Amino acid sequence: MATDHATFTPHLGAEPGDWLALLKPRVISLVVFTGAIGLFVAPGHINPVLAAVAIFCIALGAGAAGAINMWYDRDIDAMMRRTTDRPIPAGRIEASGALGYGIVLSVISVLLMAMATNLVAAAVLAFSIFYYAVIYTMWLKRRTPQNIVIGGGAGAFPPVIGWAAVTGHVGLLPVLLFTIVFFWTPPHFWSLALYAAGDYEKAGIPMLPVVKGARHTRLNVLVYSLLLVPLTVSPWVLGLTGRFYGGAALISSLVFVYFCWGVYADQQDAEGNSLTKDKPARAAFKFSILYLFVLFLACAVDRLI
Amino acid sequence: MAPMNSTNETDRMPRAEMGKPDWTQEQRDEFMRRRRGRNYLLLAALAAFCLMVYGIAMVKLHEYGQMW
Repeated sequence: MATDHATFTPHLGAEPGDWLALLKPRVISLVVFTGAIGLFVAPGHINPVLAAVAIFCIALGAGAAGAINMWYDRDIDAMMRRTTDRPIPAGRIEASGALGYGIVLSVISVLLMAMATNLVAAAVLAFSIFYYAVIYTMWLKRRTPQNIVIGGGAGAFPPVIGWAAVTGHVGLLPVLLFTIVFFWTPPHFWSLALYAAGDYEKAGIPMLPVVKGARHTRLNVLVYSLLLVPLTVSPWVLGLTGRFYGGAALISSLVFVYFCWGVYADQQDAEGNSLTKDKPARAAFKFSILYLFVLFLACAVDRLI
Repeated sequence: MAPMNSTNETDRMPRAEMGKPDWTQEQRDEFMRRRRGRNYLLLAALAAFCLMVYGIAMVKLHEYGQMW
């Protein structure tokens, strides 16, 4: 039989970078940042080496949950433009390999956290992995348009873990930081979903714009941004942070409301679909990342003042 | 089964590829390059893990006099 090299595509295996891509490095950067701030603002002392290990464990746990997410979502990832080149749908890594990788890294991150800090931090880390991989990915994501509302909790755990790593318990400030990230997630993701609704529809994911329409989503983005105003200033009002944080939170929250108002008042057709290629939604999505960054950075600076 | 001291290139290919047409030299080189990269990554990860456990142990024993 003649060998046709032109049509024969051998399985060459994954690049090392593919295994790193399974950990969703872009998501990890935000998780590491909020986790580090939680650790930094906590009262008490932690050895810098143990602090570095704790942050590493938060990153590793988040990455492991991301790998399990990619394993479970491989079918819908193959359908969406944004995710079609991920290592599993692209055929560079086998699904079972990715699952094993995610589970092993999850166990290592929790054990290392327990070893370096305490059982409370390790338990919260373990629960956060379970929350993202099972509650959000396997249970909610494909079942309800409120997926991102409840699923937002998954990304809100890092400041709590960081705090617990230092103190050994969970206080009011980390709970408020958790709540801020929890309420920040829906307008952040719905802004993205407004201009990626076609992809989500194709993959059969019941994101809010797909199920309830763009107009309803725009209203929800605005409502959540309004809720964030009192929520973000509450640590200052309750005396848990100083005026610097309070001022930064108030100003950045009002700017975020302005961006979300832009999403709500965007030029649209009868069904609420944008006539401006969702320019305001893109701007609100971009600003939402800066907004969270400013809030947490202000919290850390406030601790120094 | 291939003998342990075999130097045949096909002995080092993944089993799933055994029955398929021959690989070109470029494909073989690319396969080797990727596998080498993965092995180095694994080596680095294992070394980092050992160092981290050692570091945690040293700090905890030095600061608290006990591991747990």
